[in-house]
Amino acid sequence: MKIAVIVFPGSNCDLDIYEALHTVCQADVEYVPHKATSLAGFDAVMIPGGFSYGDYLRAGAIARFAPVMKEVIRLAKEGKPVFGTCNGFQILTEAGLLPGALKRNDSQQFVCKTVPLEVVNNQTIFTKQYEAHERINLPIAHADGSYYADQATLDALEANHQVVFRYAEENPNGSLNNIAGITNQAGNVLGMMPHPERAVEAILGNTDGLRLFKSLLTYGTVKA
Amino acid sequence: MQVRIFVTYKQSVFDPQGETIKDAIHTLGHQEVEAVKVGKFFDVTFAPGTKDVEAAVKEIADQLLVNFNMETYTYQVMEDAE
Repeated sequence: MKIAVIVFPGSNCDLDIYEALHTVCQADVEYVPHKATSLAGFDAVMIPGGFSYGDYLRAGAIARFAPVMKEVIRLAKEGKPVFGTCNGFQILTEAGLLPGALKRNDSQQFVCKTVPLEVVNNQTIFTKQYEAHERINLPIAHADGSYYADQATLDALEANHQVVFRYAEENPNGSLNNIAGITNQAGNVLGMMPHPERAVEAILGNTDGLRLFKSLLTYGTVKA
Repeated sequence: MQVRIFVTYKQSVFDPQGETIKDAIHTLGHQEVEAVKVGKFFDVTFAPGTKDVEAAVKEIADQLLVNFNMETYTYQVMEDAE
């Protein structure tokens, strides 16, 4: 499985995802700049956190217009895994690959801490190595992480088991239904505000994020 | 020709900034204020003679300036600056 890490101007977790996949998981991974017009040969896409285009207008709103996004959308429609964390999640909603939107945290503050999460759905290609309803801890670091969607969309997300991660204790940002991460209906696109790539080695103090990448790579192996 | 496009949260979306500002207005003594909504506006200047400005405004708002999951917009055509 060959994985692309998309780099936008203002991305700042691209190195973290790259290292999580390359150094920790020995995966075949490459940086792809925002101006690239082809993702030919790639089997999966990672959209990292950060502040693409300075979060101008709305977080993720401008990144949607980057040339590479046409290809990201193409891969997503083909059913290939697409993963976005933090700003990556915001970009995926702005690009229409995931429903809903991320608005400013209710506190109006940037929140940076480790939070407990529930793995609500462990049947996705990204969460197979977690136990059902397992409690994990992952870091969050965002100002615009309050998930919002209208009631019909929320109901559909719940009914289709698209809510993959939920904040398990306090809700750090005002997200509806305590949503921390969702997939699209097909299940191949995952967006989440927490940062699994920052929790992949003991030296980082936390390895709870590692199994997300392992799940994906195992899926890639089986698929190939 | 200049168009001012106003973008705000939809009525159904909680606007914590607006709520906090309303509380401050109450502290100021203006209990008669019932609601405050925070938004942003964009002054968009079109080249003279641009045809179908309204259609352009709609597309710019729909595709870029507004996230319809949580926001809505209005606009007004400004007097031409002399």
